[in-house]
Amino acid sequence: MPAKPLGSPYAGILPVLAIALAVIAVFSVRFGAVGVSFADMISALRKGWSAPDLLNLTERIFLEIRLPRALACLFVGASLAMGGVLMQALFRNPIVEPGLVGTSSGAAFGASLYFVLGATLKFHTGEWTLPLAACLGGAVATACVFLVSETTQANRESTTALLLTGIAVNALFLSGVGFFSYIARDPQARSITFWNLGTLSGANWRAVIILAVVTIVGLAISLRYARQLNSLMMGEEEALYLGVDVKRLKLTITAVNVMLVAVATSITGIISFVGLIVPHLLRLMKGSDNRFLLIGGALMGAILLTLSDIAARLLLRPAELPIGIVTAAVGAPVFMGLLRNRRYRF
Amino acid sequence: MMITRWLALVFATLLFVGCRFNNQEQGEHQQRIVSLSKQYNEIIFALGAEKDLVAVDLSSTYPPQIKSLPTVGYHRALSTEGIVSVKPSLVLHDNNVGPEQVMRQLEQLKIPLKVFEAKGQDIESTKSLVSEMGRFFHKEAKAESLNRKLDQDMEKASRRAKSYSTKPKVVLIHFGRAMNIYLTITRTSTAGKMIEWAGGEIPIGGDRGMVQLSPEIIASADPDVILLTDFGYDRLGSPEQVTTLPGVDSTRAAKNRRIFRVEEHDLVYIGPRTGENVLKLQDLIHAGKAAG
Repeated sequence: MPAKPLGSPYAGILPVLAIALAVIAVFSVRFGAVGVSFADMISALRKGWSAPDLLNLTERIFLEIRLPRALACLFVGASLAMGGVLMQALFRNPIVEPGLVGTSSGAAFGASLYFVLGATLKFHTGEWTLPLAACLGGAVATACVFLVSETTQANRESTTALLLTGIAVNALFLSGVGFFSYIARDPQARSITFWNLGTLSGANWRAVIILAVVTIVGLAISLRYARQLNSLMMGEEEALYLGVDVKRLKLTITAVNVMLVAVATSITGIISFVGLIVPHLLRLMKGSDNRFLLIGGALMGAILLTLSDIAARLLLRPAELPIGIVTAAVGAPVFMGLLRNRRYRF
Repeated sequence: MMITRWLALVFATLLFVGCRFNNQEQGEHQQRIVSLSKQYNEIIFALGAEKDLVAVDLSSTYPPQIKSLPTVGYHRALSTEGIVSVKPSLVLHDNNVGPEQVMRQLEQLKIPLKVFEAKGQDIESTKSLVSEMGRFFHKEAKAESLNRKLDQDMEKASRRAKSYSTKPKVVLIHFGRAMNIYLTITRTSTAGKMIEWAGGEIPIGGDRGMVQLSPEIIASADPDVILLTDFGYDRLGSPEQVTTLPGVDSTRAAKNRRIFRVEEHDLVYIGPRTGENVLKLQDLIHAGKAAG
């Protein structure tokens, strides 16, 4: 395959997205329940470097809560959107979202297991227990999807088998979540509910570092496979003729998706709709080259999630809205509006 | 007509949101206390120590004037920045708060947190809690008189309970029903204990405070009295409506129209008014007088 650079039709969009992201990110650290001025930010950054003991309350809020939250938001948005791009490309199907191979429902199952039985089974090891349980749940569910679809796909188109298995495994794990919320005591049940709606309020610096590494590694790997994904859009056999190792491609891309989505979900809870809507928005703006979709998706996902997080923080101030409510409530009508655009082809 | 009603609804909602989430300065405070426990809040008001209270959680609904205070949201879905934005000098909580990270973040920001030592789970430990809070707010005398009143009310209630010749079976349905599954209070809950003190009997056991029960269990328990907490009752509107529910219609309570509304915040924790509330329960389940 000729290594063609990303063509000029796409050139204008990425810088615009990058600038928009930078502006919105500044808004995101500036506004919240507590007012943080630019002067506060500068002095916080300066003191945080030289004399962390002298920080006042506002500066502490900026450094320890607001800034890590804003950064975590960028990476989570980027991860979820890239997961969406990867899954839609892999399944050549526009209704697919990153949770389809079981990752989100598995994570939700792991989290509710922790909320309901955590105290009884004594698997509490500090603040990382919940993310760990969610991540493991996501990985187990995805492994289930793959093992089952491997053994059933013998004489069927393999993508269909994977999709259907994904639906079945999702149903299974969500029934597990339902069971746990049903037997849960009141506070546990509410923890499950709130976790399932997602929030970024738990973000701290360690979470930011983990998310940054995962997002950047995920982006790098998927960009390497972006052209193979482009070939796959024509069909599995066609891709094979073009020299793509389809089986390996599927495995790698799914692994990257699980890594991106499971880690993001384990830290924030389930945030719906970003992974579904972002790739479509980009395709509407300009074509469907997966290299463009991946980079643009990362930027656009970060933008959308940051805007949603600002709304989540401000609408009910001083209380806070779960972000999943905002992403779905705003995302769904916008999406429906876009789909009315007749020129749109997947 | 329709439109006016919608507008009224929208306006009422905005008003409600505005009141419960407003965030204005209200007078001078020596301390700025955010209290996230409905039990603590009732005691704070009973002690007359509410002047330093600047914000509460959404589930604190007693006494009525507490609703004029800003809230920082539901006590299991708190926001660190939201709490910090009311500039607290102290945050009181009873460990029933979430999500987990919020208390951690408040600690990190060096905002003082306090949980009172007394657990307040039965009459004795609630009296200790009232005394402890009385010492904390320098209202020792008031705390003592609250405890005395609680003792007196409880004594009166237990005297009355002994005088009853019957022990009515009471089912307490706590809010709502999903597809005819009732969330029902058991003997082990605080409300269960209160009904026992009132000389009633809850036919539903279990190691948890509430269980989901099918209509069949309610019907076979055949209670003499059915109580519904405010939310569930108000949704149905009247005892007649309640009797149309499956499982309820065949009970003695339905036949004798002994179905009553109770306030959730009177029954879910023990506080200075618990004795009074047990007396009120006695009026309901023994005489069948509707609460005024």
